[in-house]
Amino acid sequence: MKFKEKGNETLQIKLRSPLQRHLFRYWQLYLMMILPFFYFILFKYIPMFGNILAFRRYRPGLGPFGTEWVGLRYFKLFFKDPAFWRAFRNTLTLSVLNIVFSFPLPIIFAIMLNELRNKHFKKIVQTISYMPRFISTVVVIAILSEILSPSSGLLNRFLVDVMHKTPIYFMNDPQYFRPIYIFSGAWQFTGWTAIIYLASITGINSELYEAAEIDGANRFQQIWNVTLPSILPTIMVMLILEVGRLLSLGFEKVLLMYTPANSEVSDIIDTLVYRTGLANQNYSYATAIGLFSGIIGLILVSSANRISRNLTGDGIY
Amino acid sequence: MAKVKDTSISSRIFDVMIWLVMAFMLIICVVPFVYMIALSLSSAKAIINGKVSFWPVELNLEAYSKIFTYPNFFRAYGNTIFYTVVGTSIALVMTILFAYPLSKSYLKGHGFFTKLVIFSMYFSGGLIPNYLLISSIGLTGTRWAIILPFAISQFNLIILINFFKALPTEIEEAALIDGIGYFGILPRIILPLSTAAIATIGLYYAVFFWNDWFNGLIYLNTPQYPVMLFLRNIVNGTMVVGNASSASADTAMLGISTKSAVIITSTLPIIILYPFLQKYFVKGLTVGSVKG
Repeated sequence: MKFKEKGNETLQIKLRSPLQRHLFRYWQLYLMMILPFFYFILFKYIPMFGNILAFRRYRPGLGPFGTEWVGLRYFKLFFKDPAFWRAFRNTLTLSVLNIVFSFPLPIIFAIMLNELRNKHFKKIVQTISYMPRFISTVVVIAILSEILSPSSGLLNRFLVDVMHKTPIYFMNDPQYFRPIYIFSGAWQFTGWTAIIYLASITGINSELYEAAEIDGANRFQQIWNVTLPSILPTIMVMLILEVGRLLSLGFEKVLLMYTPANSEVSDIIDTLVYRTGLANQNYSYATAIGLFSGIIGLILVSSANRISRNLTGDGIY
Repeated sequence: MAKVKDTSISSRIFDVMIWLVMAFMLIICVVPFVYMIALSLSSAKAIINGKVSFWPVELNLEAYSKIFTYPNFFRAYGNTIFYTVVGTSIALVMTILFAYPLSKSYLKGHGFFTKLVIFSMYFSGGLIPNYLLISSIGLTGTRWAIILPFAISQFNLIILINFFKALPTEIEEAALIDGIGYFGILPRIILPLSTAAIATIGLYYAVFFWNDWFNGLIYLNTPQYPVMLFLRNIVNGTMVVGNASSASADTAMLGISTKSAVIITSTLPIIILYPFLQKYFVKGLTVGSVKG
């Protein structure tokens, strides 16, 4: 009995410390976090520190993150490697072209959708246009390769039967790689990305439109003078973030579209890392390339975020 | 949108133009699937002769009855169902367990944990360190290799944190006074209020696991392949749909209708489920876009 009292007393004394009181009060919340926290350490942070492999030599069986320190050896190696610079150029070219052609589409789509007066039709268009985002890249490429097939594909049959031209092997021809990549991306994501612009358009004060109409603006002028200026901050944020993601292309899609015949344009940084790392098992070399593009990506994204926050007070995270 | 109704002729023309462009957009979205369905239901001869466009020619179910006799396809399909169900369940539990504490900004360490999550969105281990980690902890060649590393997506986590933050706190406080701990509050009060957000991120997770093929490629053995990897391999020509030795005159063309049948059957669950879940995810997305 006495012992128990003493125990209670020490517990109370201990709980005087604010931190202990806090832990005692919220221990259940902390307990919930243990597993997810462990997940983040194991699957996100250990690989992050595993990038140290870029500076160390890898020997099979001697730990995943390398043996002896070799400094910048692998960085010097790939800086001299023309395959790296080709991949670097291809990544930038594909990214920039993709932004130039794909970026305006969701904006135009959202504005047009907003102008639809038939609510029922609007709902149908929205529902259907979001759907391609949920389709696997594998399926997108599989469908494309059937539509574009030189022997039986829809497009080549049109070229041969209607236009009287020779069939084109689109999926193998380097000059069609970029258009196919960009077009299929637009097909998949135009509707989905438009959601953000639609939300922004919904927030526009309707008095602005009424005032414009009283001033005699027709509907095109209303779009030009009311809608577009009102969603310009959103457009700017999206554009800046898009530039921030310049180096991260749809790696899986490029890998699916990659053939030896189109490698001149389809080899990007990510596929180079995949090939040198996993196919040829040059782990350290591939990690060095991956780390290099990861750091550039980090700089791009964080400066893009800072710029957009300074311009509009709005970042993404 | 309480716009003044404009009924002038120019406005009518504008309406028609918008309507046409939207109809074109609809057609572009739907046509590839219609073409696939038409191919999968047509005879090999009609495909060879280039007669199939948007309607099945010489309608038959041969392609479907064929793929359902292929053990490879069945196994891959079963694998994908397993990865999707188990993966989504684990991911939902893990995400809820982290999102709920992280929605309480009075918790000590809240800032640290949030930063931990956000920094990992900016910078990641990259392909090779991840690959080497998975193999060094012995997951390569097991089904867990394509489930456990993807248990939490930071994007989904942030959607859920923002949703939890927006919930009213009164009921929760009353429950705390009644002596129900957080372990009781989460399943009994919070989760029933969060069905929309949970359906949203559940859909995202399920779509991710259903569509994944690359992780299967680098971590799994052939019997464990998911259906998307199976499809990729038959498109690539690195895997034969069924029996390689049954080469007939029109194997290539038969291949097209079976390929299309695989495309349709492997996408069907998403297309069927999608309209039902659609209303949730748009709602969830707009909630999540409240900046955290």
